Amino acid sequence: MKILNTFEKGFQTTNKRLKMVVYLWLINFIYSVLIVTPVYFLIKKDLSGSLMADQIIKGTGLLWLGDIIYKYQDVFPALVGWFLIPGIFFMLLYIFLYGGIIGRIAAQDEKMKMTSFLADCSKYFFTFLKVFLISLVAYLVVFGGIHSIISALFNLWKKSASTEWPLILSSILEFLILILLFSIVRMFFDYVRVRLVVEKSKKTIRATLLNVTFIRKRFFKAWFLYLLVGLISAVFGVIYLAVHQLLPKIGILLIVGFIWQQAYVLSRMWTKILFYSTEYHFLNIHKE
Amino acid sequence: MKKKKSYIKFLFFILTLSIISSAPLPGAERISNVRYEIWVELDDQNKMLHGKENITWFNNTRDDVQDMWFHLYYNAFKNEKSTTIQESKEEWFEAFGIKIKEGKWGWVDVTSIKLTDGLDLKPTMEFITQDKPVHPGDQTVMRVFFPEPVKPGEEVHLQLEFESKIPRSVHRSSYYQNSYFIAQWFPKPGVYEEGKGWNCHEYHLSSEFYADFAEFTVHITVPEDFVVGASGKQIKAAPDEAKKTVTYTFYQDNIHDFAWTADPDFIKVERDFVADEEVSLEEYEEVARMLQLPVEEVKLPDVKMTLLIEPEHKSQIDRHFKALRMAIKYYGLWYGPYPYETVTMVDPPFRTSSGGMEYPTLFTAGTSILRSKKVLSPEGVIIHEFGHGYWYGLCANNEFEEAWLDEGINTYSEGKVTAIAYGPGAMPMSFQRIPLSWFCKLPEYYNYELERAAAINVVELDPITTISWKFYNRGSYALNVYDRASTCLYTLEGLVGEEMMLRILRTFQMRFRYKHPQTQDFIDVVNEVTGKDLSWFFEELFFGTLNFDYGISSVASKEKKKYVRGVFDADGRKEEIISKRIKKMEKEDKKSDDKEFYITEVKVRRFGEARVRGDTVMKLKVVFEDGSEDVINWRGQERWKKFTFEKPAKAKYAQIDPDNIWLIDSNLTNNSLKRKPSRKGIFKVATELLFLIQNYLQCAASLI
Repeated sequence: MKILNTFEKGFQTTNKRLKMVVYLWLINFIYSVLIVTPVYFLIKKDLSGSLMADQIIKGTGLLWLGDIIYKYQDVFPALVGWFLIPGIFFMLLYIFLYGGIIGRIAAQDEKMKMTSFLADCSKYFFTFLKVFLISLVAYLVVFGGIHSIISALFNLWKKSASTEWPLILSSILEFLILILLFSIVRMFFDYVRVRLVVEKSKKTIRATLLNVTFIRKRFFKAWFLYLLVGLISAVFGVIYLAVHQLLPKIGILLIVGFIWQQAYVLSRMWTKILFYSTEYHFLNIHKE
Repeated sequence: MKKKKSYIKFLFFILTLSIISSAPLPGAERISNVRYEIWVELDDQNKMLHGKENITWFNNTRDDVQDMWFHLYYNAFKNEKSTTIQESKEEWFEAFGIKIKEGKWGWVDVTSIKLTDGLDLKPTMEFITQDKPVHPGDQTVMRVFFPEPVKPGEEVHLQLEFESKIPRSVHRSSYYQNSYFIAQWFPKPGVYEEGKGWNCHEYHLSSEFYADFAEFTVHITVPEDFVVGASGKQIKAAPDEAKKTVTYTFYQDNIHDFAWTADPDFIKVERDFVADEEVSLEEYEEVARMLQLPVEEVKLPDVKMTLLIEPEHKSQIDRHFKALRMAIKYYGLWYGPYPYETVTMVDPPFRTSSGGMEYPTLFTAGTSILRSKKVLSPEGVIIHEFGHGYWYGLCANNEFEEAWLDEGINTYSEGKVTAIAYGPGAMPMSFQRIPLSWFCKLPEYYNYELERAAAINVVELDPITTISWKFYNRGSYALNVYDRASTCLYTLEGLVGEEMMLRILRTFQMRFRYKHPQTQDFIDVVNEVTGKDLSWFFEELFFGTLNFDYGISSVASKEKKKYVRGVFDADGRKEEIISKRIKKMEKEDKKSDDKEFYITEVKVRRFGEARVRGDTVMKLKVVFEDGSEDVINWRGQERWKKFTFEKPAKAKYAQIDPDNIWLIDSNLTNNSLKRKPSRKGIFKVATELLFLIQNYLQCAASLI
């Protein structure tokens, strides 16, 4: 019951911070627009005058897609770089934003202001950067070590397989284990960040070590709560896909599709805040 | 006088030559010039084959033949000196080439080779490597010498004994646990070509096969619990209770290869293709009309269909049979009746690397447990591999040297059959082996769209007609002989019309059944059936590496000026027309009912090197804002040309090749140009891309 109460509190806190959802969406939107713009002009240059553009409305067509791939095959590595490098910078940006997100959740009684959000962002940036670097070690241990061992065990099973079933099952199970391992590491470092904000501390190693004890004592409760929020995120995804498929892709209804896409992105932002809100309350309830 | 004498001599020479060349080849009426009887025993424990082989080879040429060349394909997996493994290392570097695990090599040893009179030919036996670049050490081609040449019209009878170690999961033929797919497994003579000698290439990485039509009787002995499938018709099954084995005998005439499979887990399902139930009279009549043949000639025979399927794919039995029925029906109706009594479809045994491969009257398909019905797989592969029964099986071209003749024509044919039987299929995308089309609607496409997208990328690498192992790389081989050739055939269809194309392929198939046609034979058929010389089409698109790309580079409409400024002679005096006066006159004109006229200029360009020739022209269509349109023809020889139109409306758009004939055009996007660009489609692409990027960024952020 305590977990559900924690979840409820987190839910309420998130809804108090809807402005922050909009901030995050705006940042994501503008950043994405900056990446897409050159590509948009490239496509516009090639397609806007062609009757082929009318076929695009009908959906992905291999005739025009084939043309684009053929035409830009030489710049393909540059295009991949164009999408990859901003992704890395966006990760850095989020290290910055996490300070604001958790800081404003912790100050839930205060009014939501952009200035205080940004102040929290900059206040915790270097501390969270250190957390990120520590988390890299953890990811290396989990995915380089534990996951490799699990993979090797699955490979033994796959090697002696007589049918395709072990391949399918191991592939799904391996992926599931990978996701669960990832969720544990992710949750662990979420709590480290929340702890640092709650304790207004900059001692990352101390917070990490304290967090080991904290999580070890109530691992399943914490993990259940984390997965519960994760499940909500997945449900949003399913709803998005189901409705998206029903939306007609013609004329003015394209705008409806676009709005629906943005609604989904907003839901992702909302869930992100919900993760931290529930973790914040969980930490406060179980604080020793 | 001297002159006259030499003239008579010359005439005599020509006459003699024509008599010689018109003399029928010895045994020309025979389809099969080889007869095999093979006894083979599968040693399941040691993964070996123990075989005896009687070969009768009939010399149907005018040459005296002194030797015989054999393919020993299994030696491709004997050691790392083989041409196949060498080529794989050259292709993908040492680390990524074919790697055979220790103890898993495959080979074939001819332990004895004699004439039926007992004369041992083994002392004359030698391995030869002739293909360039040479890979010394390859043992996939063997030669023996006869004590006396085999004269035209004579037969030679050979008795061989061989031992083969089955390779493990490498290339087409292999075993996994106790499942076997056995192909290219017996010593097999090459093809003797009159005046040229033996055509017997090594086993190359990028190549398939070539052999003479033959009569096969094969006795296969396997442990009693094995289910066996093979080329031809099973005529006997003789159990040996003491040895706990069964010997299956298969027979088939007029085929040029023999493959078999054995697996204790196979489920064997037999069904009949009953022509009267599958094809209506209306369909026969329609096809007969298109082919300009009597209905009786397009009637199909019944065929016994056998499916050997792995138990985990049991739920897909109906899918397999439906695809096979569709293939037998449409290949039969369009290209000619399937001439054999049986066809065996094999769901390849797990991990035998034998899927998607054709053998006469038997082929391997390939599926997996989780398959979406929207994705046309295994349907596509079933139709394709059955289709090879026509293009390779019956029209038995040399796949080493002109692979496009079977792969290209068959890829085209497969696309046609798949389209009529199923329509477009969804993209085969999956995540962790789970089909994504279970969760969302994936883009659907026809085969020709995907083939064309692939084809345009390799046009400038190699001609389609390149020898199989001499392509730039495996990608160029595959995309050129399958996709580019198919795309060019779709283009040819666009050019000559669908019914004419059907007649071309029907004529080619029926004329070269049980023969070894070459590219020139196909071109000759095209020219004959269409009544046009389309050789240029093949020169431009098959024999060369020329990019085909015609497009519109500009469309502009401007009002036709009735009045212009300047000094003009009028009634013997100079009169200056000034802007002010022009405006006034134009104002007055507008009051009247006179229509305004516009001059539209369209510039068309030939961006690629390839060009249309003969009496073929590029069609240019210009559509105007009042709904009217003009169509004119451009011979397409120049690099560019300007066309001018005077109409009472501005142009809406211009389009070259409006009938979409030239599918091989590497840029279909520039085939049309609107005068005013629209953003409708672009907005959709941009928003989809934006959404993708937004989610990608969120995922990236979730990693920290």
